[in-house]
Amino acid sequence: MALDFSSTPGTPDESAETRNVRLPAASPILEPGAPTDLELMHGIQAEDPEALSVLYDRYNGIIKALILRVIHNEAEADDLLQEIFMEIWNQARNFSAQKGKPLGWMVTLARRRAIDGLRKKQAYARAGERLQTETEQQPDAWVHNATEEEISFSDTRVLVRRVIDTLPVAQQQAINFAFFRGMSQREIAAKTNTPLGTVKTRLELGLKKIYDGLKELRDEL
Amino acid sequence: MSFDEFQNQARLYVIGALEPEELEAFEQARKDFGQKAEDFVGECYSMHEAFALSLRPAKSSDALKDRLMSMVRNRQKP
Repeated sequence: MALDFSSTPGTPDESAETRNVRLPAASPILEPGAPTDLELMHGIQAEDPEALSVLYDRYNGIIKALILRVIHNEAEADDLLQEIFMEIWNQARNFSAQKGKPLGWMVTLARRRAIDGLRKKQAYARAGERLQTETEQQPDAWVHNATEEEISFSDTRVLVRRVIDTLPVAQQQAINFAFFRGMSQREIAAKTNTPLGTVKTRLELGLKKIYDGLKELRDEL
Repeated sequence: MSFDEFQNQARLYVIGALEPEELEAFEQARKDFGQKAEDFVGECYSMHEAFALSLRPAKSSDALKDRLMSMVRNRQKP
């Protein structure tokens, strides 16, 4: 569970070839001549289905992973994935490059829809029970993932996760509940039986570390 | 509210974790700090990308994409 904050030092994704790379939270490295995300967004704004098709191929995996992290249901995730890309198509005119990157816009949209979907379908309780079971059975599941070595991670993911992995588990957990579950500070406090002030501190410290870590990587690169 | 405090709250705000009673003061500080605040909030949204990119991509069926593209093309028809 969690932010999939599951990379551990020394795993293959920390190979030397991944250390001198790219902006974190950046788009994947594109083939020469491939349209940028921004070009694709402009294409969608001009109602070019091919632009949506390329954007879908580029990001459906990440968007679906995000949805699954929220709702834990494959069929519902597929339905939402389709709805979200339809919303991207329908709402593309609202995207402004001045306010951020296309991926950030899509992720914000997808997260909101997934959390809304979670609540509307009254799956919250069931997902919460699953989450609780996972947490109880594998309290550090996001720190150690059994399939980790079988997965080839992208450079971007390695860098992002390296930043996230520096956080104490309690901070990761608080951020996970807030970001992927849409929980308020009070809800997190109740769920984790932790004082509200402690939850707030964990969120503030954790998010600052992530923000600073990502910024430091951007500055270095 | 100092700008440091505003920054802390902005990071909570972008993930929707500000409590209702904190929102009013945050929005007021956002207005008071002006463009500097807007720029910072914009930067904070990069964390959304980071969280998503920390996940392993999940697979989707080709049929799902076919349905999506069919819907899109149907909507284009006059």
